[in-house]
Amino acid sequence: MAYYAIKGGEEAIKNSLDFYKKLTKKAQKIKDEDLIEAFTFSIDKVISEGSLYSKKLASKAIKRSAGDLLNASFFLRAHRSSCQRVGPCKTLDVNEMRLHRRISSAFKDIEGGQLLGASNDYEIKLLVELKKEEINIEDFGTSSNIIKSALTPLREDNLIKKLPKEKTTWDITRSFPTAPYPRSALLQVMSRGESGTLLGFSYTSMRGYGDVHPTIGDLRVGELDIKFTHPFLKKEVKVGSIEATAVESVGTFNSDENGETKLTTGFGFCFGKNETKAISMSIIDLTLYNNSYSVGTEQIVAADFEMIMHHVDGIESFGFCNHYKLPHYVTFQTDYQIFKSAKKYAKEKEEKLK
Amino acid sequence: MRYAFLDEEAKKEIRRAILKAIAIPGYIVSFASREMPVARGWGTGGLQVTLSLINEKDILKVIDQGCDGSVNAVNIRNFINSVTNVETTTSTKEATIIQTRHRVPELELNENQTLVFQVPMPDILETVEPNTAKAKIMHANADYSKLWVLLYEDTSLYGDSRISNRYPVIVNKRYAMDPSPIPKYDTLKLNNCKALQLFGAGREKKIYAIPPYTKVKPLKFEDREFNIENFEGKVCEKCGSSNSFIDEVYDDEGKVHYYCNDTDFCDCNLKEGEE
Repeated sequence: MAYYAIKGGEEAIKNSLDFYKKLTKKAQKIKDEDLIEAFTFSIDKVISEGSLYSKKLASKAIKRSAGDLLNASFFLRAHRSSCQRVGPCKTLDVNEMRLHRRISSAFKDIEGGQLLGASNDYEIKLLVELKKEEINIEDFGTSSNIIKSALTPLREDNLIKKLPKEKTTWDITRSFPTAPYPRSALLQVMSRGESGTLLGFSYTSMRGYGDVHPTIGDLRVGELDIKFTHPFLKKEVKVGSIEATAVESVGTFNSDENGETKLTTGFGFCFGKNETKAISMSIIDLTLYNNSYSVGTEQIVAADFEMIMHHVDGIESFGFCNHYKLPHYVTFQTDYQIFKSAKKYAKEKEEKLK
Repeated sequence: MRYAFLDEEAKKEIRRAILKAIAIPGYIVSFASREMPVARGWGTGGLQVTLSLINEKDILKVIDQGCDGSVNAVNIRNFINSVTNVETTTSTKEATIIQTRHRVPELELNENQTLVFQVPMPDILETVEPNTAKAKIMHANADYSKLWVLLYEDTSLYGDSRISNRYPVIVNKRYAMDPSPIPKYDTLKLNNCKALQLFGAGREKKIYAIPPYTKVKPLKFEDREFNIENFEGKVCEKCGSSNSFIDEVYDDEGKVHYYCNDTDFCDCNLKEGEE
């Protein structure tokens, strides 16, 4: 009988999971080390959006979700909730990054030079192999490459607008702010935001809604040491290192509160090699905090705190989008009733007028 | 795994938010909202509220759209059971904590019970003001004029409000509150309820509450009645009830059948009939 169709969820779930297991069985056979090495960008996307720096767990999550990366990030986030927090590490300084790659498009010549590192930006994207010439790859060596941001000289000359420093840094995983949102909270939301969403919002600003055409002042990908005060020894110890991407983009200039003409910058930072995401984040940061500096109006998507704060998280939007798959018959039933009575009312009104 | 999945700090924070919410009926309290192993929008707010309250003595019931057996309810119940080992039930009477999605049980609740709602949209003002910063100021000033205008426009065009579920209510004569997407039929059950009613919105990171015996009134003009869903005399084909929220169900031949939406209520009626 049809009535029972809505019951029996228990067996339905079990069967569905069994089917899913069968469908994704092959993925489990891939070794974690292989996946981490071969799909390094997938791993990095997942640790960044899942906001948990563990390549091994990211690999397991990717296998569990058979390559559905948003789903994989969701696994990491959920796992994170069951971990006890030890404490915050010492503030990272991106100037101290051991660089694998560093680009500045704002300057022709920069201290330390451009460092292309590993990138396929200039590759001709063809699935068929073109004839290649043999080139000898320059041996990059093992030098640690610590170079300050290309914007450091400008900052030292006091040419860049500084935003007021927050007294304490917000932690969105321990308490969530209401508007007006502190910048630390916004940057955290964006740092774990979904790459595509950040790209979408920042693109609105790049192509007409906001008129911000920023220049990359300094884009860097590399390694950062994590230092932590030992709970017993009270001494600073290195607990590990992470791979991260940091971007400082430069916007337009305008007068600041003191009437001084200053350049504006935006900042992007995230786990792993995620250049598009970090660039997008820096542009949104720039747009949010300098909307009156840009030529465009203030009423734009990428300069709306609410729009960014509540819409860039991939795990949240993904979950909500998929909740539409849950049954909604009560809501639909009552919607339908209201619709019927409104229709009746409108018809009666029409007849009265005749 | 920790008892009830969440770490102790998280539970402490959520309990504090709940206490504040109870102290100011209908007021929306922010909390950090942990990521759960269930997707956002699938009941993570209700889950966090339940997990921070539950203890070994509790008896848990989970319903989704009136049913204990639907996939989401089963999933959530199994998860809570696996991290707490508490006893579960499908009986409204026996349960101490009832987590629900989109329904208030038909049976009247009592003082020893807590009803936990899963909430997708915590702020009723969202319909008329999507900017949360502006909405917060409107709540502070008890400025619900935009809701009244919406109600007026709908009434003049369609004879009544177009809002079918999550109908706005005024709690304790102060805050306009989103009662979660329950049908209008359930709205009146919120008023003067003996049980504590807690609302958790995980994705939106908000908790709010209606303490027991609190006045809850649907937003309505003085000269207009509050109309609930009318089932036009339809009775449940299974238990014969004529005083419950009715589901329309199509069978394999396309014929319509009517059954109680609240499956426990229906089962209890049947049992009583047999005795």
